Amino acid sequence: MHEMSLALEVCRLAEREVGREALGRVTTVAVVVGDGAGVERDNLAFCLETLLGIPPFRGARPVLVAAPGEELRLDYLELDDGGPDD
Amino acid sequence: MAVRTIEVRERLMARNDEYAAQVRARLAAAGTVALNLVSSPGSGKTLLLERTLAALDAELPMAVVTGDVQTQNDADRLARHTTRLVQAVVTGGACHLDARQVLEALDAIDLPATRLLFIENVGNLVCPANWDLGEAARVVLFAVTEGEDKPLKYPKMFRTAHHAVLNKVDLLPHVPFDPDLAEANARLVNPGLRFFRTSAHTGLGLDAWFGFLRGLAGAGIPAASG
Repeated sequence: MHEMSLALEVCRLAEREVGREALGRVTTVAVVVGDGAGVERDNLAFCLETLLGIPPFRGARPVLVAAPGEELRLDYLELDDGGPDD
Repeated sequence: MAVRTIEVRERLMARNDEYAAQVRARLAAAGTVALNLVSSPGSGKTLLLERTLAALDAELPMAVVTGDVQTQNDADRLARHTTRLVQAVVTGGACHLDARQVLEALDAIDLPATRLLFIENVGNLVCPANWDLGEAARVVLFAVTEGEDKPLKYPKMFRTAHHAVLNKVDLLPHVPFDPDLAEANARLVNPGLRFFRTSAHTGLGLDAWFGFLRGLAGAGIPAASG
């Protein structure tokens, strides 16, 4: 089940980007999954939901974006910065 | 709630590919050619390697890294045919080897004294296709008991392979399998595939396989060019 390996890598990259302390404020994790990437999207979504639902995450929402080709990347994160709405 | 967006745009395989580049650099520095053997479980990777070690061990310095979800059974089988190192990687549930595991396995191998390195991947035609291990070439095996459409069902594995071994051909009289159709299906996916038809059990077709390996080791032919 290499989707779990990929989901763990997404979490590692998220931690690298925002720091472990801020992972609980991540609200969205967007991953681009190419049609030819050899990844089963529903399976990857399930793995991400599982990992993002446990500490240090607090229920961030995975968004899987379909794309042509073999692209497979963490696209962006959304973070609740704790401030008031703009 | 104010939401901040952080653009990342990083490939998920980037870290594995960095490890694969390190593997490739170490192999190149040592002059070692590595082949990544992939197949579904039971296609005959281990027996093919047993026969290869038994036939060529005296003339070719070889080493093996085996990957299995559990047990060191394959490594134990192979070790009976060589005095050289057979390094087992037990993935503990993971469905593929990754380049970091191979890089760590290299630490136990005397690479300058090794001309050919076989990496026997976990039996699985799906997941290992996505993981570059730093090999010079990928060899995909399938058996006549599996169906001629395997290359069409698992195209990425056959598309990323350089060589294909159709194994267990001694069973052709007993199974409804058309080897020409199987090769044609594979070439639909990857026209450049070089094919070997073998029976690791009886030895049929192994001379061509051994000759290919001798060519890799002796002439320094890039493995991917066959």
